[in-house]
Amino acid sequence: MADAVTLQIQDDSLLYLMLAPPDRINAMNISVIKNILSRSCTPIIITVNQPYKVLAKTYAKEGIDMEKIYVIDTVTQYSGGICEHNQKVKFVNNPANLTDLGITITELLKQIPSEKKCIMFDSVSMFLIHIPTATASKFLHFVVNKLKLSDISGIFLCVEKGLDPVILSQMSAFVDKIVDFEKKGLDEKP
Amino acid sequence: MDANPIALDVIGLPKEKIVGNICHDFICPAQCGQCPITDLHKTIENTERLLINAKGEKVPILKTVARASMDGKDYLVESFVDIRDRKKAEDRKIALIAYMGESVMRVNKPLELTKNNLQSLATQVSNGDYDAEDIRMQIQIQANNIGKIAGNLKELADKFSEEREEIPEEFRQFFIGK
Repeated sequence: MADAVTLQIQDDSLLYLMLAPPDRINAMNISVIKNILSRSCTPIIITVNQPYKVLAKTYAKEGIDMEKIYVIDTVTQYSGGICEHNQKVKFVNNPANLTDLGITITELLKQIPSEKKCIMFDSVSMFLIHIPTATASKFLHFVVNKLKLSDISGIFLCVEKGLDPVILSQMSAFVDKIVDFEKKGLDEKP
Repeated sequence: MDANPIALDVIGLPKEKIVGNICHDFICPAQCGQCPITDLHKTIENTERLLINAKGEKVPILKTVARASMDGKDYLVESFVDIRDRKKAEDRKIALIAYMGESVMRVNKPLELTKNNLQSLATQVSNGDYDAEDIRMQIQIQANNIGKIAGNLKELADKFSEEREEIPEEFRQFFIGK
């Protein structure tokens, strides 16, 4: 079950780095999605951990309407699963395929008619299994620039103490706020 | 007044081009009036300093300076050791430690996440909300991820074994304790 805590995401065009212990990251994901939807914002989830089909069932159990959500799924093909295409989901063959992932993000951002959009990246920590920190940092910088230029909000989920100090300091520079899920609130970054 | 052949070699100039010159901004980076010995009255004994060579490069040295008096005239006797290799080894050590830290980070937290994902899978199997294909996909993802993590560990091990000969003695001691 998701945590009852409601994260207060205060601005529609800010970028957040959200940290949680490994056993709380799924609860943080659900809490963040609920918050995005409550602001009438369209979430785009980049999932590098759960396949779309499973994510849809998990969200449905939490009362989240999948019709309002777009997903970029990087793991269904990676797991040998069947990619059932529909307008709400785009598939990338594996999380390390940054070229396709970048193209898909760009396409989806153009395709979604809603004015208020928010990308949620779940999660940076799992992403680092597939690509080295330096490459991840460059890619995330590319995503952040794209979001900033389009005035779109972005939320990067991450396991606390799960980032190399170099990437953490770089990401801290990219984002507007760092949120500690366990503290149940928003901390202004130093 | 004089310089020995090793000093000439490190500085990269013949004796005649050194003797008679003022050291400030020539072989010593200190500004005129800021000599650590004669102006600032500091002691330099096995201290890390910089020497400017003929190419204008700053060479790290370990330096000791003693005062000497000959025929009523004061001299500074400077002896130094070129520590460029040691500095290079230290830089490499820092890089290796950073590389190791990053690699461990790419193993440690993902493994914790994988453990949690597997625990969550166990719950999903028992509550019956997910079909066999859902479970299979997730198990396959976790298996692939563990494979990737093992690959990252192997990459780290290869990195160290490839460059084992280059790892400085003190660094090896740090790692294996002998």
